[in-house]
Amino acid sequence: MAETMTVLVTGASGFVGAEVTARLTAAGHTVLALVHRNGDLVRNNGRRLTPGPGDLTRITGDINRPGLGLTHDVRHVVAAADRIVHCAAVTDFGLPEERYESINVAGTRHVLDLALACRTPLVHVSTAYVCGERDGRAREDELDVGQSPGNDYEKSKLTAETLVRKAASERLPVAVVRPSIVTGAARTGRVREFKTIYPVLKVLTKGLVRTVPGHYDAALDLVPVDRVADLVTEAALRFEAAEGLTLHAVGHELTLREFSDVLAEYPSFQVPRFVPPSAFSVSALSDRERPYYDRVISLYDTYFRRRIHFDDTQVAAFSEGPAPTGGRPYLRRLLDHCLRTGYLGGAARREPDATRTDGSTP
Amino acid sequence: MILTEDQLQGLLDRSLAELPRATEWAVALEGSIAEGFGNPSSDIDFLLIGRSEDDLPTMPSLLFVDGRRVEIRTRSVRQLTDQLRTLEDGAKRPGRLSEDLLNRCQRLLHSHPLRGHALVGEVKAMLPVERFRRIAADWWAHRARQSLRYAMALLCLGEADEAVDWSRAGLVQTVKSWAAGLGETYLEPKWLSLQLDRADRPEVRDRYWELEAAAPAPGDADAARGHLAACLAFAEELRLGEVPWRPERLTVERVAGVTTWQTGERIHVIRGRREVFALGDRAGAVWRSLVLGRPLPQVLAATADTGIVDPGPRLAAFLRYGLIRLVWKGGGTVTPSLPLAAPPGPVTPPPSTVQPLLSVRGAAVSGPDAIDLVPLPADRFSAATMALVWSNVVVENAVEDLTGALQRGQWRVAELTARRAVHAALRGLFSAYGVNPLPADSDLVRRIDLLPPATRVIRARAEALLRRTVDSAEHGDGLLTEVRACAALVRDAAGADAFPASFDSADTWRATLQLGYDWLRIGAYLDAELPIEEARDLLASNGAQPHQTARRAAA
Repeated sequence: MAETMTVLVTGASGFVGAEVTARLTAAGHTVLALVHRNGDLVRNNGRRLTPGPGDLTRITGDINRPGLGLTHDVRHVVAAADRIVHCAAVTDFGLPEERYESINVAGTRHVLDLALACRTPLVHVSTAYVCGERDGRAREDELDVGQSPGNDYEKSKLTAETLVRKAASERLPVAVVRPSIVTGAARTGRVREFKTIYPVLKVLTKGLVRTVPGHYDAALDLVPVDRVADLVTEAALRFEAAEGLTLHAVGHELTLREFSDVLAEYPSFQVPRFVPPSAFSVSALSDRERPYYDRVISLYDTYFRRRIHFDDTQVAAFSEGPAPTGGRPYLRRLLDHCLRTGYLGGAARREPDATRTDGSTP
Repeated sequence: MILTEDQLQGLLDRSLAELPRATEWAVALEGSIAEGFGNPSSDIDFLLIGRSEDDLPTMPSLLFVDGRRVEIRTRSVRQLTDQLRTLEDGAKRPGRLSEDLLNRCQRLLHSHPLRGHALVGEVKAMLPVERFRRIAADWWAHRARQSLRYAMALLCLGEADEAVDWSRAGLVQTVKSWAAGLGETYLEPKWLSLQLDRADRPEVRDRYWELEAAAPAPGDADAARGHLAACLAFAEELRLGEVPWRPERLTVERVAGVTTWQTGERIHVIRGRREVFALGDRAGAVWRSLVLGRPLPQVLAATADTGIVDPGPRLAAFLRYGLIRLVWKGGGTVTPSLPLAAPPGPVTPPPSTVQPLLSVRGAAVSGPDAIDLVPLPADRFSAATMALVWSNVVVENAVEDLTGALQRGQWRVAELTARRAVHAALRGLFSAYGVNPLPADSDLVRRIDLLPPATRVIRARAEALLRRTVDSAEHGDGLLTEVRACAALVRDAAGADAFPASFDSADTWRATLQLGYDWLRIGAYLDAELPIEEARDLLASNGAQPHQTARRAAA
């Protein structure tokens, strides 16, 4: 694709959005970066995003509001975009259901309204975990198969993706990218913010919760943020090839057994004891463990039950980028980065912070 | 040279006369005499070079000519070409360059031609001598840096005497590197004094011998530090480079295949999936304080924060046993080796002699600072502890079954259940002593002869119990008392930790189950044999037993 484009990126200051924005401008395209608040766009390496050679125009908006809360003039500029990449979403767990509804579902609806108005091709960033709580192979061409979402986040993303598919049936050109659990950079393990799986790792490796319900053959899929950003960018830039596709941006499938094998390589880490969910009882946890279980682990324990494999046949056929390999070495890189930054380290010494409710840890 | 050309030619004639006359050889004298060293008892080393394309034998022929030991090696031009090329190719990674290859090339390049001068010259010209000096100097320099960095690490760890030995090794390697750069490339340090004399830098030579002779008093850390500082200063003068006194550049890193598994309070470190080290409480605390990737001084400070006094020797032992490694920032893993010796590699201590060896909480240790090597391969260690946990559960379960059978007057059932309890207790006893796989149940009593004499008292009690019959409530009560007494004897012999009464309360039962999960996990890591599939079922159901569910729920 030789000519330059103008791309509206929602959630441009987010974990994936900032990286997509950087890639698009680096490829010479103009990015209209929709952000909720003022402030620098920060890349995953912690540095301020320096656009170029393509231009970057920051647009302050609110995807909770119809028309993304944009002024008439700005809406006019946005309407001229050649592509929309919809990255904006709330991914923290344990929030009130209305937050997911307003940002992930209503936000997607507002983006779709914008896209439908001008038939602007849309790349929608969903999640591989729209598959819900089930075992076996999750295919890219499946969406609603009667699955039961593992939490309100998954439910909201399933609803949002269903809206996107409906819009596609109304002749909106769309491509969907479904990342699994987005984690640090493939080569360095570096991560801008310690969210999603990271607080879980912190609580477990510190031994704050020693017994966790889960199956050792359950699998978590971790995908490097650069892999996701590459694929989203590729879908936007090679939209003709991506149109109509759903792409599993998945990376390193690691069973809980592999997880604990790798954790055991670190002398200072406690290795959690996974017990069959049927045999697990919260009341049997110690008084010290229970608050951490309630606040952090319980939000994620649905992932410790699923023996899921994400099929990525469509990505393999579409993407010109290399597929990730080596789950254990990648996990080590993530953990090593956490040690280098001091996010993970030695044994616990502090009591839980009672004010945190979003799954993050001190 | 200590031999004249005529003497050498004469020795060669007599030597060749003993070899088959098939090939036209070019001949060179190599080794210490060619180098200008040697003494009357030095070997004569002839290298015979043929134009043959065939591989010639690597083993030398040994002859005794005129009372001298003569070694004759044969190499084809192609073999020598390959040798020199391999050296060139490997020169960028001096840490991986073999001493033997370097030595062979050195001897060739510094050899003295005796026959076929043109061919010898042709071969030697394949690697300019200046280039070889650089390679040899870099090779020694690499080793010197490793030794000096290791000495620095040992000093941090409080192992002053060992540090002095490595400082001294680094000193030799430093001066050998310097001398090699001046053309004194002969590898064997035996002739170092002559090499330094020939180098004609008396101030360097004298300083070297001064440092070499320095002998810090044993245990004197300040003196050891002073000695290392002097060696480092000397190395800097000789432009060794990359060894500043900066221990913070040493980081503690993971060794592939080393994993940590905790059961109860016991920490086990498994090396290469084969050996299990059981750590005493203080050693375990030091191990747990190790945050990988951090500088050594920071690791030591963090360990000190845990309240452990003098953690250095424990960390040094972890290092020695290959449970951790040290990396010099920008310089790779610190791999020390003495001059002309291979890196020693991880040390394996003698196996622990603590008995009984195992409990449900893990391997026994000899003391709080212990880093004991469990005298069982890792998979059998894991299988034995799982069998121990399982036998513990089965004893309790069988005693409860026995009680139920007696209440209902089911005498035959009671007899069989009592035997089951006795067999399970004996399996636990064997497992506590590390016996795995276990003898057949029918052979358990006889095989108590495998265990220490203190366990023999159990034999008579168990034999009698296995023959006991029941035909009345009175006999039944007696049987139950005897079974409990037998289990108590086993507990006495194996230790209460090895064989806790797991059903005393809901808490002890849960604790036993959790240990069961932990052992299953270790067993899975090691691909060990599970005691029986039933163990998995029990653990999966959180220990609910069909006939005991109500009682358990009430508890």
